[in-house]
Amino acid sequence: MTLPVAREREVALGEAPAPARPARRWSWAHELAVSVVPAAVAVSLALVAWEAWIELRDVKPYLMPAPSRVAERLAADPLFFAEEALHTLEGALLGFVVGAGVAFLLATLMAQARFIERSLFPLAILVKVTPIVAIGPLLTIWFGFGLLPKVFIAALIVFFPIMVNALVGFRSVNPNALALLESLAASRVEVFLKLRLPSSLPYVFAAFRVAVPMSVIGAVVAEWFSGDSGLGRVIYIANNNLDMATAFAGIFSLAFIGVGLFLLMTALERRFLFWHESTLDVR
Amino acid sequence: MVYQAGQRSLTALAGIDLVVRRGEFVSVIGPSGCGKSTLLRIVGGLQAPTRGRVEIDGGPPREAQRRKQIGFVFQDASLLPWRSVIENVRLPLEVNRQSGPRSSFDPSAALRAGSLRARPERSEGMSGNESARGEPLEPRTASVSDPERLVDLVGLGAFTGYYPHQLSGGMQQRVAIARSLVTAPTLLLMDEPFGALDEITRSAMRFELLRVWRAQAAGACTVLFVTHSIAEAVLLADRVVVLSPQPGRVVADLSVDLPRPRPEGIEFSPAFLEYTRRLRDALREGVPPELAEGSLV
Repeated sequence: MTLPVAREREVALGEAPAPARPARRWSWAHELAVSVVPAAVAVSLALVAWEAWIELRDVKPYLMPAPSRVAERLAADPLFFAEEALHTLEGALLGFVVGAGVAFLLATLMAQARFIERSLFPLAILVKVTPIVAIGPLLTIWFGFGLLPKVFIAALIVFFPIMVNALVGFRSVNPNALALLESLAASRVEVFLKLRLPSSLPYVFAAFRVAVPMSVIGAVVAEWFSGDSGLGRVIYIANNNLDMATAFAGIFSLAFIGVGLFLLMTALERRFLFWHESTLDVR
Repeated sequence: MVYQAGQRSLTALAGIDLVVRRGEFVSVIGPSGCGKSTLLRIVGGLQAPTRGRVEIDGGPPREAQRRKQIGFVFQDASLLPWRSVIENVRLPLEVNRQSGPRSSFDPSAALRAGSLRARPERSEGMSGNESARGEPLEPRTASVSDPERLVDLVGLGAFTGYYPHQLSGGMQQRVAIARSLVTAPTLLLMDEPFGALDEITRSAMRFELLRVWRAQAAGACTVLFVTHSIAEAVLLADRVVVLSPQPGRVVADLSVDLPRPRPEGIEFSPAFLEYTRRLRDALREGVPPELAEGSLV
């Protein structure tokens, strides 16, 4: 399959479809300013309000740190947080890849015949409805400490939404385009690669948007139970020590990871879904 | 063609017996719900008839599909939005690649739905049609057309790299027409292809279709064109088949003896108007009151 790639299209930051955007062509810098500046202003205002609240109400630092103290903590030891963040990210992304891979495989199978769907889907739902946190302690017993439990939990969490959306996507094809391929005696594999798979991309990307942050949650949860590294471990220990500045520095780091992954997803979506209504600037 | 819906069944088409000569342009006209689209789907092999059979060049539609002899154009262009114009036109060439160059030509595309027996094409009375077209052409050697040239032919040479969402409805439909011709089909099935276009674009597209068909495939490519516009049917076709509503059956089969290429403005000639009048009458007769509500068997 040749994946569609947008040409001459700038990668924009922020949410893809800006509501009432004029049809005029924006310069890259302008677009950046338009999408980033409001967000930056909003975040700054929130931080200022937080800081003021701590100052004015004299909140104790072991209950809630001022953002300035969190920033100090981050600035004092950036490499430490970066390294722990990488550990978490590694678990989350590996889990995402494994979960997405299994999800695609099962969705492809289920798209072939209803009876396969009827046999596999209940199993998938069973996995989905079991609270992952409940089996967290088990993971230490099974997989010990380290990378494996993170990958396992992250994969388990992202698997279901991706599988469901891929399956819906494989089925949501233009009936006339399908008829056209059938009238050319295209094989099932050809129909899948030329029509079903690309048709599923909008659904799959919607699932990715949900699943990517979930994979980080999964990795952090695993680190809580059985981590020997990672931001989840950092936050857990800092919490126990009432070291709120470190805990929040870890939380901020997680937020940075989340924002980074979100922007990455948006960029990928722009690249592969340039043809879809959701990414078209003007309709 | 009988559809099952719960315990009731709806007879969409009944006793259609139609023999179409190779290279003939046949319009199928009828009120909504008379099974025109079903007819095309059956001819194209997308749906099996409840009874009866379809023959394309003497074989079943499946065989024609395998040899990529069938071109389809739908009411919506049905382009793949992630493919550019040229990539969309190439799509039929990318699937079912093992289909070799076609070998034998039986110069008929015969359709039979209902239980009627097949008749050999030569014995079919074709009065009035011989004059519309010369001797049957020799089979072409090439079974595939150059996508670039086809895109040029439909007037989109400057838009090959554009994506469907960047094109107007009329342009998208031109792409669909180019796509349908890229395998050099012997049978072109068009299901109200201009139905979703505005009146101005539509009338331009009719002449455009005639021009492209003539340039690309006239004499070698049979067209079955479903429409519910009387003027469109007369303007395009050598022959207009009128279907009655549920169950669809042929109520009139009218040869259109207008010169080709059809000049613009032909819609206002007395001969043209006479054909439209006769078709209008046939359509009116085709809807007896007891059938107007549809017949549930």
